[in-house]
Amino acid sequence: MLVAENLVKTFPGVRALDGVSLSLRPGSVHALLGENGAGKSTLVKLLTGVYRPDGGRITLDGEERHFAGPLDAQRAGIGVVHQERNLIPAFSVAENIVLHHLPSRGGRLDKRRMRAEAVRCLELLEVDLDPDIPVSRLSVAQAQLVEIAKALSLDTKVLLLDEPTASLTGDEADRLYTVVRRLRDAGHAVALVSHKLEEVFAVADTVTVLRDGRSVAQDAPLTGYTQAQVVDLMVGRAFASIALPDRTVDGEVTPALQLSDVSTALGHRGISLTVRPGEILGLYGLVGAGRSELAKAVLGLERITSGTVRIHGRPARIRTVGEALHRYRIGYVTEDRKGEGLFLDQPVSRNIAVTVWRRLARAGLVRDRSERELAGTYADRLGIRISSPRQPAGQLSGGNQQKVSLAKWLAAECDILIVDEPTVGIDVRTKAAFHELIAGLAADGLALLLISSDLPETVGLADRIAVMNGLRIVGELANDHDYPRMSQQIIRLIHAAETVSAA
Amino acid sequence: MTLTATQRSTLPGRHLWQAPEFTLAVIAVAGFAALAVATGGNLLSAGTLGAFFRFLAVPIVIGLSQMVVLAVGQMNLSVGALTGFCAMAAAWLMLEAGLPAPLAVLAALLLGLLVGVTNGFLVVLTRINGFIVTLATMTIIQGLRYGVNGPDTFQGYSPGLRAFGRASILGLPAVFLVALAVAALVALFFSRTVPGRHLLASGGSPFAARLSGISNDRSLIVAHGLSGLLAGVAAVLTVAASGSVNATIGDDLLLPSFAAPIIGGVALTGGMVSVTGTLLAAFLVRLVDVMQAQFGINPRWVDLIIGAVVLGAVLLGTVRSKLQERSD
Repeated sequence: MLVAENLVKTFPGVRALDGVSLSLRPGSVHALLGENGAGKSTLVKLLTGVYRPDGGRITLDGEERHFAGPLDAQRAGIGVVHQERNLIPAFSVAENIVLHHLPSRGGRLDKRRMRAEAVRCLELLEVDLDPDIPVSRLSVAQAQLVEIAKALSLDTKVLLLDEPTASLTGDEADRLYTVVRRLRDAGHAVALVSHKLEEVFAVADTVTVLRDGRSVAQDAPLTGYTQAQVVDLMVGRAFASIALPDRTVDGEVTPALQLSDVSTALGHRGISLTVRPGEILGLYGLVGAGRSELAKAVLGLERITSGTVRIHGRPARIRTVGEALHRYRIGYVTEDRKGEGLFLDQPVSRNIAVTVWRRLARAGLVRDRSERELAGTYADRLGIRISSPRQPAGQLSGGNQQKVSLAKWLAAECDILIVDEPTVGIDVRTKAAFHELIAGLAADGLALLLISSDLPETVGLADRIAVMNGLRIVGELANDHDYPRMSQQIIRLIHAAETVSAA
Repeated sequence: MTLTATQRSTLPGRHLWQAPEFTLAVIAVAGFAALAVATGGNLLSAGTLGAFFRFLAVPIVIGLSQMVVLAVGQMNLSVGALTGFCAMAAAWLMLEAGLPAPLAVLAALLLGLLVGVTNGFLVVLTRINGFIVTLATMTIIQGLRYGVNGPDTFQGYSPGLRAFGRASILGLPAVFLVALAVAALVALFFSRTVPGRHLLASGGSPFAARLSGISNDRSLIVAHGLSGLLAGVAAVLTVAASGSVNATIGDDLLLPSFAAPIIGGVALTGGMVSVTGTLLAAFLVRLVDVMQAQFGINPRWVDLIIGAVVLGAVLLGTVRSKLQERSD
């Protein structure tokens, strides 16, 4: 039995986990639920030796363990299938399964033993896969089974699955869960992280629900809950509407951004939506619904195959971000601020001024001082806490980084802003300040498209909510900020769409 | 704008003596003093000192030529061959085509720029790594270089240009001053101009650059073009300073082109350059060269020493950034 007690994990600026406990029992499937950023993946990574806890302890069969790394955890009998693919396409199924402990004899790879171990793992799953073909020839669902087989090698007793069905079809997911049940019946302890509640209710025995790094339900029998109750736990009943500046949207004014029947090369079909100046349109959906990709299509980073995009009423064909920025004044605050939003080792001043260097230049030369003055202005306006405009962006806390990532678009005087998961990985207090900031921008007359998979955030901020699932808009709702009602309507829309696509 | 300005993001509270350039400067001064003593003051005689700086000009410019492509996270293997090719072309234009020296100089610069821009376009259009593209163009250029005049040597071209190559201003060789001026312009380019900043942005994080409306393709072409132009400058300085040109010129420039920026602390991954560091490192490499000449050491040892120092500098850079990450 794997038991975690009072685990604490802090990242710069964020307390990702704040005293979380759970126990994984043999012969039982334990669901680990929570919204994006609630701390599920952090918990999985602590239990499998990827991170080390800052506080609390982990015991395996009563013995306290400190894992030096993932392989150490696997040797102790804890296997994991992460959300991301971890297979080497050119290697065979058998090689991938046994990759981290290839058997050797006299310094040479012992192919017979490797194959035998791989076959043993595959037999545990009772799946029929040729261990000798390369992984590149497998389907996504088959590759996922190989991942599980890999996690089961080295006599695994505890298996953690992080969103194992995210890229599988309904049938494939059913088959995967048949395997999970089989493993449970064989005495394995299984932990399952998934946002697909129906699957969770079909397979799991107990549940732990995380919210903002704390557990709001711990090791509870799942039979005691309905799906709606679990959703309430995940998003928090106590959610009160955020104190926001009053603003009214003029429904007659020409939309700032309007998509009509837009299809993209990525598979979006018939997307229509409208954002007016001074309005926040929430674009809600689960991870993988295609929202960020839609935003990138608007910016010219993905190809739009049909339909029209209108900016302030005029049809626009945007081919590059430069064009979106300098000609149409559209800004995009990315969800991946560290990877795409910031130059982490560059000063804050440069990160803010990067969009306006051309305007700042005098006789072709940009002066550091004008850059720093600009940065100072926005640091004051957005309340960015920096010790100096020269401070590298990578040293700031998550919330301040996000503000810097936003400031560069304000500096460029964008009047259309696409804000993608603005508060992921940001602590609760900063989150509230950020929400106020976004509402303030709308009050100033900016048109905002808020992409979020955070329900309270969407319901709290948006004027209207478009719900996206499977690369389509499955419904649009006027938001009356009545949280329980809105959240149920939204979740119903998504479930209806999932049922249709599964049928 | 002085040469001491680098594009390193200065951390608050970081002092001058904590900058890697400061370490390099101390080593350079100490090394120079030690060599001066070891040669019994011979190094400081007007002739030796003049030659020391005259033959420092090309390594500086060639180091900068490599540095500008390192800024976008690329490499340019063709810098040495291109320098030789442009030098051959300039000499041929003066001797065989009878072009006046200023026009031949201009032609050499344009040729460098053209080959560099071609490198850039090939990288952008084929999406093949710049390392491979420039390996190919290097090989092609080496072939062309022999095509210009076979293995023969060009000499006796423009007396004016050769006089410039030997001239001194305030005791410093004119070609060295040109190299310093070029270095100042490159520093200005990276710290103050929009294209220069775009280069560093693309090198630092292509994803963030793209989402900030910066064209990474354009940055790649500008970087390779500028690298080619600087190779052209190095060619002109070679023609002026050496007085004769043959098809082997430039063959020994590839290692120094990497040595200067890498020892100078420029990040191989892009996004960070240091003109001062590159200058100081070129100076150090030159010191090793002179040491070899003074004491009659086998030239192979020089390559070994420089190679080892480059390797050490890369390791040191890795350790430094690891330590910095840990302290953050």
